Amino acid sequence: MKTLLTTLLLLGPAIPAAAHEFTVGDLYVDHPMIEEAPPNAPVLGGYLSIANRGGSDDRLVAIESAAARKVELHRSSVTDGIARMQQITDGLAVPAGTTVELGDGNHAMFLDPDRRYVAGDEIGATLVFENAGRVDVVFEVEKRSAESAASSHGDHAR
Amino acid sequence: MKKPASGLRTLRAVLWTLVAVAAAGTLYLTYGTGRQQAEAGEAFYAKPFSLVNQDGAAVSEASFLGKPSAWFYGFTHCPDVCPTALAEMSGILEALGPDAEKLQVVFVSVDPERDTPEVMKDYVDYFDARITGLTGNLDQVSAMAKDRYIFFEKVPVEGGDYTMEHQASIQLVTSDGRFFGTLATEEGIDVRLAKVRRLIDQG
Repeated sequence: MKTLLTTLLLLGPAIPAAAHEFTVGDLYVDHPMIEEAPPNAPVLGGYLSIANRGGSDDRLVAIESAAARKVELHRSSVTDGIARMQQITDGLAVPAGTTVELGDGNHAMFLDPDRRYVAGDEIGATLVFENAGRVDVVFEVEKRSAESAASSHGDHAR
Repeated sequence: MKKPASGLRTLRAVLWTLVAVAAAGTLYLTYGTGRQQAEAGEAFYAKPFSLVNQDGAAVSEASFLGKPSAWFYGFTHCPDVCPTALAEMSGILEALGPDAEKLQVVFVSVDPERDTPEVMKDYVDYFDARITGLTGNLDQVSAMAKDRYIFFEKVPVEGGDYTMEHQASIQLVTSDGRFFGTLATEEGIDVRLAKVRRLIDQG
């Protein structure tokens, strides 16, 4: 296992495509993904993580995509058995030295996608950061399987 | 020796009073603020309702009696809680194997303004063709949900859109319309599967 990890770590930087990571300044955006939704689904949920390896705080203020009428940042929660969703209007803080997830209760909501997207498709988008500026990323569309849903969704598919 | 004992007794009495006050407070918060809670054994799924299914056909409470059922209330403009719940119910149907025939899974839209039968059909078919999707007009859905202690509310969001707050748990119902229990989102899939199996066993 350790050998495998070492191998992966060594290979990692050589094949950035496999890591599916995007960088802007000191921000590392990892694995933007969208869960495949039913045909004609009016919304798609997008997830990713952002590591701020720099010394100053930043903030994800918007996501833009030509593939949707609008992309909003949302916080969703289930408290006392009630599911609630709130729009995050002041952006998502990415403090220095931390990794923040869109996932884990937060998500990007792609409203009214321009067509049906299925597993294997890619959706281009631009993340807008307060300080680091703009970075183009690609959300990979992945299958939503009952199994992955059942196993509490891995890392950031919530 | 007597004094400390009675002191303890007094303390105990005070503590129990506090417990009672806390319990009363909890009861008030739970029941007093308009949110009701279901009681096991109550036959509120036998109360009349009239909605349409994903094929546009009229359905009533009678359409779902005679077989145990699992009811989820949500909406299609919901990027994670609802599709996750439906994907998980589809997983439970898979795990039940042939026993899946003994369970009806129903998804009721709490956003009937946007969720037409056509929208519901695409939506439920994607997760599992065995899931029934129900919608109707807002009054019909509201009355139906209220009778079944289901909370939902329309919440405006910036830019003129809106979202729905809604009950996230799934209600399990016996074949004669009695409330059996809930499946909560925070429970593991094994716990939920066990509850569903128990429901099927008891009919």
